[in-house]
This record gives sequence, structure tokens and C-alpha cells, in this order.
Amino acid sequence: MSRLHDMGGRFGDGPIPIPRKKNNEIDNHEPTFKYDWHAKAWAITLAAGALGEWNLDISRHYRECLPPKDYMNYSYYEKWLAALTNLLVDKNLVSLEELKSVIDLVEKKGLNFEANKSEKLDKRTWLAKDVQKTLGWGGPSIREINVSPIYKINEKVVAVKYSPNEDVNGGHTRLPSYVMGREGIIYSYNGSHVFPDKNAHAKGENPLPLYTVEFKASELWGVSAEDNNDSIYLDLWEPYLRSKKT
Amino acid sequence: MNSENNHNHHHDHGHDHKHDDAHSHLPSDPELRVKAIETLLLGKGLIDSKTLDELIDTYENKIGPQNGAKVVAKAWVDESYKKRLLEDATAAIRELSYQGRQGENMVVVENTPDIHNVVVCTLCSCYPWPVLGIPPTWYKSDEYRSRTVREPRKVLSEFGVNVDPKVKVKVWDSTAELRYLVLPMRPKGTEHLNENELAELVTRNSMIGTGLPENAK
Repeated sequence: MSRLHDMGGRFGDGPIPIPRKKNNEIDNHEPTFKYDWHAKAWAITLAAGALGEWNLDISRHYRECLPPKDYMNYSYYEKWLAALTNLLVDKNLVSLEELKSVIDLVEKKGLNFEANKSEKLDKRTWLAKDVQKTLGWGGPSIREINVSPIYKINEKVVAVKYSPNEDVNGGHTRLPSYVMGREGIIYSYNGSHVFPDKNAHAKGENPLPLYTVEFKASELWGVSAEDNNDSIYLDLWEPYLRSKKT
Repeated sequence: MNSENNHNHHHDHGHDHKHDDAHSHLPSDPELRVKAIETLLLGKGLIDSKTLDELIDTYENKIGPQNGAKVVAKAWVDESYKKRLLEDATAAIRELSYQGRQGENMVVVENTPDIHNVVVCTLCSCYPWPVLGIPPTWYKSDEYRSRTVREPRKVLSEFGVNVDPKVKVKVWDSTAELRYLVLPMRPKGTEHLNENELAELVTRNSMIGTGLPENAK
């Protein structure tokens, strides 16, 4: 079994919520952030991540680990905020008592009060002058290591049948359930990349070969495939795959 | 069995929720939730409000689909650039000074008369920030995430893109850290336009695969 975020192929979702202009044309220019609080939630999450107490895979896993009821009820940035709150407490950047007392304060005072800023920034705090530099570097996941990939281009492979994270029950993985047990073909090899199944649980980077694998629509969806000629491509790490025994 | 072995055999359970999860204490109004977290972190000196302003300004005003449009227009007018772009997208995009966060490993997939590409992230919201900015709400929606891999043609038709049955649809589910950009086909009747004029025709959705470039006016 998987978690709610693993929703590829799921039935039941309605039309895509595409924003339209008054004349019904698709609006390609909706604002970057619909509300100020979206922008703030996003920016605070990035700035807190820059403190270095967790990596991107850990924060992704925290969003995926929200209780299913909350995951479904929350909008996108509400998920971010909830996961960030749990991370801040779990990683001891703030205590639950501090959190509760600030919540009491804002519930009493509402939105329009000026927060008390600390006179002194923590030495880990991301400074405005470093923002462009840090964004420009990013955080590449590729690692130059001497590992030969097992599989060759055009080789037939099968994705493993169960969630491949063997360290953690319900642990982070990038193998969506809709391809588990299905046959595909190695389309390309992309070098060795940090393995999120380990990295999301602070078990090291453990870089491993990453492939792009092509799956035929008919292999994934059977007779309900829209067109047997269509294909779906996923980027999958070597432990997610097995040789196709012929 | 000593306790250490016992510990090693114990199966981790990640950090699944407890009854007293920190997030369950947050106010019900999301604006107040943000205010609470912001107040808390500012009070401890763990964030700097100038950094937040700089981040928001960068993605509202400097980094967005206008960057990707320049990449596409250059590929349309410069055959050798297009070749470099398809072979090593990260390096070719860096030639235009677009690089970094959420675009560290770029892949460009080309639309042709026989192939239509579309990009999705079924597990979350992975998106090539340096060339397209922050993803639109629909890209992060459950509807787009669940349906695009199973019924891409139907999804595309909701965007007004009706793919001919003779054309193969390729769906790219960004499950790792590779970030995908679609190189759409250059519209007919644009031979007289220069690179900057062409970039004006490249819509954001055409670089995700859920749209086509605009026609020349």
C-alpha cells in the first residue's frame, strides 16, 4: 500500500481546474501566488529549509506523512505549512510550548500586529544578500561516482511489486504504485543520483543509477488505455527495477 | 539477543502522526497559521524578513516562463543551439544564464509532427523553476496529478489541445530530480519574426505540453 500523495492513475477526479479569462480563453498569466499568505508560506518553508536541519527529501516526506484526512482537506500551501510546523518541532528548532504560546498570541491579536523580531539572527539564518547565490547553485542530486549501471538502453525491465523502501514502513519512495509490477523499457541512463528512499530518512545520500523507463499505456491501463501507442516515462532508481526474465 | 541487535531489527516507522502532532495545534485560518509560524521564527532569529521579500520578488518578477520562452525561441532560430539543448539541456539553458534551484538537471523533450509531449508530477509538484518559475495551481491539483498519466488526451482536450490520433502522446512523470521542459513546434507563418518576437508567442502551457504557442498576430 501507498500513501495518498501517490495518486497517479486514480479514478474519481473531475475536470482540471484551469483558470479562464472572461471570454473563456485559458489564462496563462494567473499571479505567481494567489494570496499573500501563499507567498509567505512558500518563502518561509524555503528559508527554514536553508537552516540546514533537514534536506528536501525529508521535507517532502513530512508532507506525505500528514494524516490522510488532513492531506485531503488541506490546500497545497496548507500542506507545506503543516509539514513545516511538524519539522520545526521534531528537529528541535522550536518547542511545542513556544509554538502553542505564539498561536495563542496571534489568535488574540489577529493579523495586524508587528511581530517582535529577534535583535540577533541565528548563525544558520539565510541572509537576503545570499539568496541569488544560493538559488543559482541549487542542490544538484547527481553524484560523480564510479558505478556501472546494470541495465542497458532498450533493455526490458519490470518495476518491483511492492513499495521498495525496505528500511522504513511506509517510507519515502519515488516508485509510484501505478507502475509497480509493470514491464517497461530502459529509455535512458541519467547517471547516479542521491537516493531519496535513504535520504528522506537521514540515512545518507547513497547515490545510485537513475534511469528513465518507458511504459506503454496499454501495459499500465489495459483495455482502458486511451491509445495503445502512447507512453508514460518515469525516472526510476536501479533498486526499483528487476530484469525481465525472457 | 542483546539490545543492540534488537534495535537493529526493529523496523523504523518514519514519523507517522501522533495524536499530539504539532500541526494539529495550528489556527484554522491559514492566514493566521502563516502569521504564527512567521512570528515564531522571526522571534527566534531563524528567518530574516528581508530574505522572504527577496525570494518572493525573485519569483514574482524575475524568474518565470519568460525565461523558458527565450530558450524555446532561440532553439527555433538557431539549429546548433537546438541540438545542444536536446543533447545537454542543463548546459544549453545555462548559456542563457538560467540555472539552479529545481533546474539542476534539465531535460528538453521536442514536439514533432508525430509526437506530443506533456509533463506532470504525480507524486508532488516537481517543475523546472529556473525556466518556468513556480507551478500554477492546476499543475499541483489532484485532478492533473491523477488523470494525466491515465488519460492524457482527455486532459489535453480540456486545455483545448486536441491531439490527432496519429500522433503519439508521451507523458513525462517527474519522479526524480530531472526537470522537464517541452520544446513546442514553431507556429507556421512566423518566418518573418525575429527571436524576441518569437519568444512573445511561447506560452507557459506550451512548455508544459498543455498548450500550443500562439499564432503570429
